[in-house]
Amino acid sequence: MTDFFASNLTLIQATFVGFALALSIQVPLRLGVFSLAGAGAFGLSAYATALLVLKADMPALPALAVSVVGSTLVVLLLGLVVYRLSGIYLAMATVAFDLIVGVVALNGDPLTGGSTGLYGVLTDFDVVQMIVLLVVVVVVLAATERGRTGRRVDAVREDPELAASLGVNVRRYRLSGFAAGGALGALAGGMAVLTRSAISPPDVGFSLIVLALTMIVVGGTRSWAGALIGAVLFTWLPTLLTAIGEWQDLVYGVIVTLAAIFLPRGIHGVVLDAVRRSRRRPPDADGASAADGGPDVPATEATEADRAAEAFR
Amino acid sequence: MQFIVQIATLGSIYLLFSLGLNLVWGSLGILNFAHGVTFVFAVYLTHLTLGVARLPFLVVLLLGAACGAVLTVLLQVLVFEPILRRSPSIHQAEMRILIGGLGFSTIPLAFMEHQTKNLPFGLDQGSFVVSPVVLGSFRATNIALYGIGLAVLLGLAIAVWLARSRGGLALRSLGVDAPVAGLMGIDRRRSALLAMALAGGLAGLAGVVYTYTLTALTPDSGDLLLVKAFAIVILGGVGSIAGAAVGSLVLAAAEVSVLTFTSGSWVDAVSFSLIFLMLVLRPVGLFGRKEVRRT
Repeated sequence: MTDFFASNLTLIQATFVGFALALSIQVPLRLGVFSLAGAGAFGLSAYATALLVLKADMPALPALAVSVVGSTLVVLLLGLVVYRLSGIYLAMATVAFDLIVGVVALNGDPLTGGSTGLYGVLTDFDVVQMIVLLVVVVVVLAATERGRTGRRVDAVREDPELAASLGVNVRRYRLSGFAAGGALGALAGGMAVLTRSAISPPDVGFSLIVLALTMIVVGGTRSWAGALIGAVLFTWLPTLLTAIGEWQDLVYGVIVTLAAIFLPRGIHGVVLDAVRRSRRRPPDADGASAADGGPDVPATEATEADRAAEAFR
Repeated sequence: MQFIVQIATLGSIYLLFSLGLNLVWGSLGILNFAHGVTFVFAVYLTHLTLGVARLPFLVVLLLGAACGAVLTVLLQVLVFEPILRRSPSIHQAEMRILIGGLGFSTIPLAFMEHQTKNLPFGLDQGSFVVSPVVLGSFRATNIALYGIGLAVLLGLAIAVWLARSRGGLALRSLGVDAPVAGLMGIDRRRSALLAMALAGGLAGLAGVVYTYTLTALTPDSGDLLLVKAFAIVILGGVGSIAGAAVGSLVLAAAEVSVLTFTSGSWVDAVSFSLIFLMLVLRPVGLFGRKEVRRT
């Protein structure tokens, strides 16, 4: 176990960074906010952390904390500016923000090191600290997925007008989602630079957005578990695919395309459906499979479809 | 004076490329992330063909357009149609369409990266020559002039087609309310395939003109161009052909100015900032129509 841990340390660290990055897109999405600003926060925070460690000689955790708070404030400000946009237009505005961060990193030469970036960010930051941070994040997120808060979050996503009429402050929920996405992206960026000890403009580019979206679409969009599945899969898949060698990217593209078509709720959704089916199987075998509503129906609607199907019989 | 030639050349390529993206986005509500790769892949297939045959310029153009059209039709049939069939509404399919396009675009991209080893590739001259043309104080190549002519002609033709013909009306009605358009007897699938084929063809044309006028391509050249096309569409207004034309010229003028007056590495920030400013100040774009959902 320790051997495995030591020899795969880089991959394990990359998995955790990917997990936080995937969450940064997923959390706003759960509130119906298609914000990709987490990738921009990743860049801001990665550079800020590196500068605080290199120029101000700060230890890892305080530098990370300052960068996360700062980047979150920037993203919250962005959220206030673009609040009236939604759907694909919001996504485009936040992508523009992400790309501007990349251009500034490339051109802010004396401070950001231009195209070379910043390197030699050496601290005592280790995997245990990473795990503790992420466990805290997961506990908080899991709390927003169940009970009253969970139902409110679902309502804000599925039907904002209904949510507002029931007394849910939709604006506050959406802005919190936007800011939470920024905070998680910033956490991912800070952890990335502390573990890799270097950051350069290609690390904060368009590929980050693609990676994060891929992870949650394949893993699952509705729960932190989906993001974790996606992060594990897409960090380890390239090493497993070495057998396919030079055609790895092509296989990657095929997997992502197939997932977008056939797995609307990701692997996590498929697992949930399987669990639900196996629990329901004994009393009414064929009724359960008929009432499943197929994998296309989101969780909240699936249960409604079940009820409707039962009423029908 | 050379300044104006540069703007017109760049602007005409931007227009050819962004017209298709705009058309598909405005009528089908599909934001096609594979549009950039279509542009590069059409040039790549043309590049391979020119390696074995010497062709006249018109045939090269048609070849590029055909390659682009085939690729986007494949994308529509294999990816977008299944996704839309499995989603209750276009808005719920938004993100899956985006990912589907991204995933699909990785396939030709990976193929090209493997074949070219990431080295730039250009287009050989067929049975014609790229020659400089001098008119008074203007200097350009003949291909650049063809490109400008093509952009103006095709832009006008598509605008007239959309405004006057039955096919154009069908496509516009899809942009306003697709289910109702279907009830009125419009074959949604056929219109959508037509729009996608047109968009891919335009991307292929833009690719051929771009490669002969400006520079060789690398497999990932499409990404940056795609972001620029987003900027143009958002600037002009989704679904507006006049908007795409004005947007292309504004972006080309802004970029040429930045290239002329600064060290050049800020040039990409122009399009990103334009997207951002436009979405914040006027989300419907300069020529945007009200009925299409934007905000």
